[in-house]
Amino acid sequence: MSLTNPQSSSSAPSSTARVPGMKRSVQATFDDPSDRGLGSGYQSKVRVVDRYKVIGFISSGTYGRVYKAVGRQGQPGEFAIKKFKPDKEGEQIQYTGISQSAVREMALCSELSNPNVIRLVEIILEDKCIFMVFEYAEHDLLQIIHHHTQNPRCPIPATMVKSIMFQLLNGCQYLHANWVLHRDLKPANIMVTSAGQVKIGDLGLARLFHKPLQSLYGGDKVVVTIWYRAPELLLGSRHYTPAIDMWAVGCIFAELLSLRPIFKGEEAKMDSKKTVPFQRNQMQKIVDIMGMPTKERWPYLTSMHEYSSLSMLQTPMMHHHSSHHQHHHSSSSKSSSSSSASTSHLEEWYYRTIGAHAGSATSSPAHGNGGGLASLGADGYKLLAGLLEYDPERRLTAQQALQHPFFSTGDKVSNNCFEGLKNTYPQRRVSQDDNDIRTSSLPGTKRSGLPDDSLARPAKRVKEA
Amino acid sequence: MAASFWESTQRRFWMFSKEELAQMREKLCEEDPKLVQMYPLPDWKYLYIYFNQRKDIPFSPRLKECASSTRVLLQAQTDNVCIVEINRLGKRLGIRQQIIATAQIYIKRFYCKVEIRRTNPYLVITTALYLAGKMEECPQHIRLVATEARSLWPDFLSLDTSRLGECEFFLISEMNSQMIVHQPYRTLATLQSDFYLTQDEINLSWSIINDHYVTDLPLLYPPHIVALTAILLSLVLRPNSMTGAAAANNIAAAGAALAQAQVGRGGLGGNNGASSGQTTPGGAGGGPEKDKQQEARFGKVQRFAAFVAESQVDIEAMVDCTQEMISFYEVHEQYNDKATRDQVNRFVKARGLDKA
Repeated sequence: MSLTNPQSSSSAPSSTARVPGMKRSVQATFDDPSDRGLGSGYQSKVRVVDRYKVIGFISSGTYGRVYKAVGRQGQPGEFAIKKFKPDKEGEQIQYTGISQSAVREMALCSELSNPNVIRLVEIILEDKCIFMVFEYAEHDLLQIIHHHTQNPRCPIPATMVKSIMFQLLNGCQYLHANWVLHRDLKPANIMVTSAGQVKIGDLGLARLFHKPLQSLYGGDKVVVTIWYRAPELLLGSRHYTPAIDMWAVGCIFAELLSLRPIFKGEEAKMDSKKTVPFQRNQMQKIVDIMGMPTKERWPYLTSMHEYSSLSMLQTPMMHHHSSHHQHHHSSSSKSSSSSSASTSHLEEWYYRTIGAHAGSATSSPAHGNGGGLASLGADGYKLLAGLLEYDPERRLTAQQALQHPFFSTGDKVSNNCFEGLKNTYPQRRVSQDDNDIRTSSLPGTKRSGLPDDSLARPAKRVKEA
Repeated sequence: MAASFWESTQRRFWMFSKEELAQMREKLCEEDPKLVQMYPLPDWKYLYIYFNQRKDIPFSPRLKECASSTRVLLQAQTDNVCIVEINRLGKRLGIRQQIIATAQIYIKRFYCKVEIRRTNPYLVITTALYLAGKMEECPQHIRLVATEARSLWPDFLSLDTSRLGECEFFLISEMNSQMIVHQPYRTLATLQSDFYLTQDEINLSWSIINDHYVTDLPLLYPPHIVALTAILLSLVLRPNSMTGAAAANNIAAAGAALAQAQVGRGGLGGNNGASSGQTTPGGAGGGPEKDKQQEARFGKVQRFAAFVAESQVDIEAMVDCTQEMISFYEVHEQYNDKATRDQVNRFVKARGLDKA
């Protein structure tokens, strides 16, 4: 991979930084007896270990860790238990107040119910830890995309892309209809069950947006992982809408087609003064493909906080995006009003992507079923362009996207995205023994069993005000 | 869920009938009758006398209604301490009314499931506000909340934030993590222009909604019923005329408006067949200017009644809600703040709950 991603080294702690006290077995992380029984204090009515048998570790993140489990009391199926990390690992754990993000996720997940949103089974508050028990999903989009980049690299079948997109949009539509903004849609957060059902997961950044007491910007200055962040957020909009989720859905659509992030920018770090920097590199990546935004296409553009910063960007050139990335010259201020500068290359990108894949599909019969991407045709481009629309007011809503001809023409969309496929995807890797958990739960390591470039993905993204 | 009250956990798990509510509370008392006996709280004591006297008498519907409404109001007095106190802390922290209201709901839900004498109510209040702030996206730092609460109730709280953190676990656990609360304020905001409410009427509706959190109404009726009741009361009640015969007169007007709405809907028990002409509030006196105002107000009541008649709103619920609010205002004057406070403080101190 020619593009390494600097933020992976700067945002996440280096993987050589070992944390003491991590040599605990999977089960031991659930029944740490060190500070039980302080007498009169809060005691949970149910114990996690009484209800669930932990069978492995799945992943870790800023929030804590996720484990795979089965029920001990006859609960059918498998579960993913998200354990929120107490503030100080290793030391005597104290009650410090639950993070706002955990409060949001607990409250929203308790309320939501939709086939395309991950289902919460229960929440257990025990021993100063929060355990959120979810239905288990065998796959996620990051894993599926990754699988298709492996030997030989081959596209995701068209029918599967359609089904994933429809289910993803259906989940979004449900969230938005209920005034919930997800604010962190990306492949890693989109789960897929072994029955091919798509489930939007990780609502840790999600929040209600109906008549908020405080403006959305005032709450969290930075939302959405950088590659999926909408242009209005990059340009410092103080107000934002469900359209930010739809941009991310557009990015995910593109990634399902090309198997790599469409706008793979480098994140500028927050400086010490906690001011939010202009994400120039990320914006440049967007401009390279989408062309310069103009106030004709996006009337509110000029009132964006970072409007003036646009002049620092390079005018996209026809082949710029396909060439190796170069550092741009900081002082090159160019007039971006010429029509060529604002011309979108998305159509070209789209047809090159599906065409190339359509050509190579014949050489990879293993995934040849389900149709070549070329069958997605012009409707696929129109849907993509509608989602990656600069003006958030003109961007497709989830409801509009669901009614797009893309879904109504051609084969019927299945609610099992694996329907008709011959190949199967590898199961989620879970680690059991001491060795594995030690290496895979190190800070900055996102999950067990996903090597190479997926680890270079931007880590979680939020600075709570 | 968040958009639809009907699918919300609030409607599915936190709405009760008066009987259910009474049963839940009785159960809590029965769990440890000694405790309850040892630390009597004013309302519950009277409540028990009241119940014991009538245990074997079959209730007439009228009596039943009377009994349940008395119980509701008596219970309200226990919470009253919490409500008064929560407002003090809320003000201190500059917390907005909507967040206080959410915290009030948390407190009510919590004390449906936990006997108050087992808790330190001051800690519960503080925790509810802290949690509601996060839930309503206006978080306050735990240390700030703890510090302010301590300066309000130095005898009952420590500065230890881990206490607050622990109580937060307790609170969330008892609420089953169901923390999204639908409030009548939103309905009021949506409807105020439909009914051409003046600023005075909006303000009055708003304060009636604030007041309803002191009663059991938030656990009994959906927020839109409360909002509509508040609007109706704001239309028929003049500010500053909440007591006495004038008020009673106006309440009658409110009742008549609802009865009329029922008739308008077509036969839903319109037994008294109130004709629209009888419902003019406040009858006699006043110059032509005053008449005009009254006419305008009368028009609004008419519009309101028509709206209610056309909609699917549960009119029975509104009638009951109106009665509860009015009784609340009457009983509120008899509320003895000091006596209640002393009794709460007594069990907190005696049981060492301030240190637990």
